[in-house]
Amino acid sequence: MNKIKNHVNELFKDIPKSEEKEIIKQEIFQNLEEKVYDLVAQGKEEEDAVNKAIVEFGNIDEIKSELGVYNVNRDGDGKRIERAKIDLNFSIWGSILIIALMVFINLYYSPSTIWFVYPTFAILWWPLSMFYRWRKLK
Amino acid sequence: MIRSDIIRGHLESIILRLIYENDQYGYEISKQISLRTENRFQIKEATLYAVFQRLEKKELIESYYGKVSHGGKRKYYRITMLGKAYLKETAREWKVTKEIIDLFMEGLD
Repeated sequence: MNKIKNHVNELFKDIPKSEEKEIIKQEIFQNLEEKVYDLVAQGKEEEDAVNKAIVEFGNIDEIKSELGVYNVNRDGDGKRIERAKIDLNFSIWGSILIIALMVFINLYYSPSTIWFVYPTFAILWWPLSMFYRWRKLK
Repeated sequence: MIRSDIIRGHLESIILRLIYENDQYGYEISKQISLRTENRFQIKEATLYAVFQRLEKKELIESYYGKVSHGGKRKYYRITMLGKAYLKETAREWKVTKEIIDLFMEGLD
């Protein structure tokens, strides 16, 4: 029976602690146990019964959404936007520095031909893609 | 065993119906469903408890703790007045739905 208990604990591990969670966890544990006893009564080996009960449980996400775990995901989104913003900032500063370097090399070593525009266009894809990623998340 | 989306949409009614007949606990309900459908449809526990949550939130069922069995106290569900009304309404709806779908499905094989 420990295996069932461990499995249920595992299923619920990333659901934030709440009274509701404990109640439903207890209920699921109790009913799975009951299922195992029933299967054993029908002549199954206990280990087979435990495995069957675990396999047939299905996808915990359904219960998560009923418990309102999507709140946690929303926090996750906030973090992702934050990170996208940092990426965007980094890409802007990074490209400014690279472009400045290009302009400097261009004007210092070969002032007669203006070629820094080409790498500039290439580099601009970086902040541009970061910008759209950030905007999409926002 | 089928796991069709069509049945999914009616799980609330199926479970309500079973609780309507008499107060039951989780495993009993999933067993009843398998039994009555002769294993053509089995409900996953995860789905079952999600539906319980939903029904309880909508105040269509309520729970209470019953006698102690193996390991712990059984949590029983009973249908509320609202639940009975809701069940009646879905039964009526289903009848109409069935008639409509039958119009298009009958005679094919």
